Amino acid sequence: MLRYYFKLAFISLKKTPLLSFLMIATIAIGIAATMVTYTVHYMMTQDPVPGKSDRLFTVHLSSWDPNVSYKLKDGKEDIPIFMTYQDATNLYADKKADKQTIISFHKTMMRAAEQPSGMATMTYLRPTTHEFFSMLDVPFLFGSPWSASDDSQGNPVVVLSKKKNQQLFRGENSLGKEVLIGGVLYRVVGVLDEWTPLPRFYTTRSEAFREPRGVFIPFQSSIQNNWSLSTDGSVYCWGEVDFVDLESVKASECVWLFYWVELSSAEQREDYLAYINRYAQEQRAMGRFQREQMNRILNVAEYIEYNEVVRKDGRIAIWLSAAFLIACLLNCMSLMMTKFHGKGAEVGLRRAIGASKVNIAWQFSCETVIVGVCGGVIGLLLAQLGLQITAQVYSHLHTELMEMNLELVIMTLVLSVFSSSLFGLYPIYRACQIQPSSHLKSL
Amino acid sequence: MLKMSNVAKIYVTDTVKTQALRSFDLEIEAGEFVSVVGPSGSGKTTFLNIAGLLEDYSEGNYYLNNQDVTKLTDTQKSRLRNEQIGFIFQSFNLIPELNLFDNVEMPLRYRSFSAKERQRRVIDALTKVGLANRKSHYPQQLSGGQQQRVAIARALAGSPSFLLADEPTGNLDSNMADGIMSLLKDINASGTCILMVTHDLEQAHLADRIIEIKDGVLTEGIPSQNVVA
Repeated sequence: MLRYYFKLAFISLKKTPLLSFLMIATIAIGIAATMVTYTVHYMMTQDPVPGKSDRLFTVHLSSWDPNVSYKLKDGKEDIPIFMTYQDATNLYADKKADKQTIISFHKTMMRAAEQPSGMATMTYLRPTTHEFFSMLDVPFLFGSPWSASDDSQGNPVVVLSKKKNQQLFRGENSLGKEVLIGGVLYRVVGVLDEWTPLPRFYTTRSEAFREPRGVFIPFQSSIQNNWSLSTDGSVYCWGEVDFVDLESVKASECVWLFYWVELSSAEQREDYLAYINRYAQEQRAMGRFQREQMNRILNVAEYIEYNEVVRKDGRIAIWLSAAFLIACLLNCMSLMMTKFHGKGAEVGLRRAIGASKVNIAWQFSCETVIVGVCGGVIGLLLAQLGLQITAQVYSHLHTELMEMNLELVIMTLVLSVFSSSLFGLYPIYRACQIQPSSHLKSL
Repeated sequence: MLKMSNVAKIYVTDTVKTQALRSFDLEIEAGEFVSVVGPSGSGKTTFLNIAGLLEDYSEGNYYLNNQDVTKLTDTQKSRLRNEQIGFIFQSFNLIPELNLFDNVEMPLRYRSFSAKERQRRVIDALTKVGLANRKSHYPQQLSGGQQQRVAIARALAGSPSFLLADEPTGNLDSNMADGIMSLLKDINASGTCILMVTHDLEQAHLADRIIEIKDGVLTEGIPSQNVVA
């Protein structure tokens, strides 16, 4: 019987091509606008490290100037999201968490050793420690992370992203090859596979959706190179410091390093925070940390929320697009009312020869489902087009933000069918209420 | 077959009450051919709609094949229409987008017949009206008389015991009308009860009985020439 209803629905849609086109187009445009907005929001708010995001924490310390607060957030005093060199290295040396890593930044010229000097390009580096890769589940194409001793000795070893390896070595296995970074020779020990955690939670908000940095080196090697901090990133200082002299920065209260830890379970959070507070008290006893202690640790979701990686206006955009979809559906509903009212004579005839109201409801439901499916498919194509245009307009953002996964594709179709069926209920109800006797003379 | 007692129909709006049919009694036996005549607006179609369960009545009782239809739900009435009543309309009421086969098959779709059974019944019905060889044609490819034959085939396909015809020849020329009347007589001769509304007294006389409706009052007997519009 369902086949019969679908056959009738197709015939009915063919009978009024303009009305059918308008209904489908109205739904398609509403679905496309909603899904473009939702896709970007959805990709922005995905869990970047599924399975362990509740066990990864960033550590923030109240090490700021006792006389002036660091900044105000929502009208309240806030503490830095960065850490001083001395605190980061102290905590790292303590190794109280299962894993811990220091994350820094630098920008310098770089090329493969075999390339002529003219081929060098300005490159953003990610100085860190070897735990970074296992903590963030970073996949390797060739090789592996550098060792703990490479970290402690600051050895000149480097891990390249797949894209960087493509640029420098045409994608070949480059293990053992040398690259020149800021005039220092580094040996390749690892090449990453595709790795694009979205949002890139472990750093600043401005980098959350940009192309990831493609060159990773041991944190201590960047320190030993005595590279100036002023070339890249943010350094916030209080007290006396000589920016040109890295030793001075290292000994200062300047904050500029991210510090992340991995705990074996989310329940260990309180224990680790207690450890951080004890550390702060020790520092206070030594004359540092004189402000009110507001030390905290934030897991991935909390830090993304705190850092406002996804801005509130993004959520407003979702609501606006949902409102637009509802407006489109209401339009489609009025078109359905017109369409079904125009079929009053056929309804009258079918009721006269024995169709029940349920039969009529099924027949028109199949029609709304077809409209929903067609609207969904065309809406999906329009959404892809919209996402491509958005990707071109916002070319500095990562392209994966503008790509639908299978889940979103299915969601688009389901949303379209569900919403068109929902908004078709009233026109169907009205069609079922048609008095057969009053329409039989108008077929 | 059909028994109505004290049946009346009143249309009520916010400001006006209209007595469309005044209280009447009527009994029609199985296999009878009954004509209903009367001027335009006299209540003929209202009567036919009530008889065909397309419209509710305001008062009285109605038994169809000994079943009290007053107490039936909308779905039960639909089933009764589908299984026991066939409709023939003045304007044929064929669906132009469906071919003859699909048009005739329509009432059978609402019954639990197999595809094979539906096909057999459709072909039988189309054969009875002489159009089996045109089952793939569309209504607009046929003459008016042929279209009405298809409508009759649709009414017959479900093997109803009771056929309601609302001015079946109203849109046809006299030759075609004669053919349709002849077909209806044949159908009646095979045992199907027919209740036919008509303006044409000559056709009305082909029936076993004539009922006249005038100003909502139903009377039995042969009407005078001037009451028919």
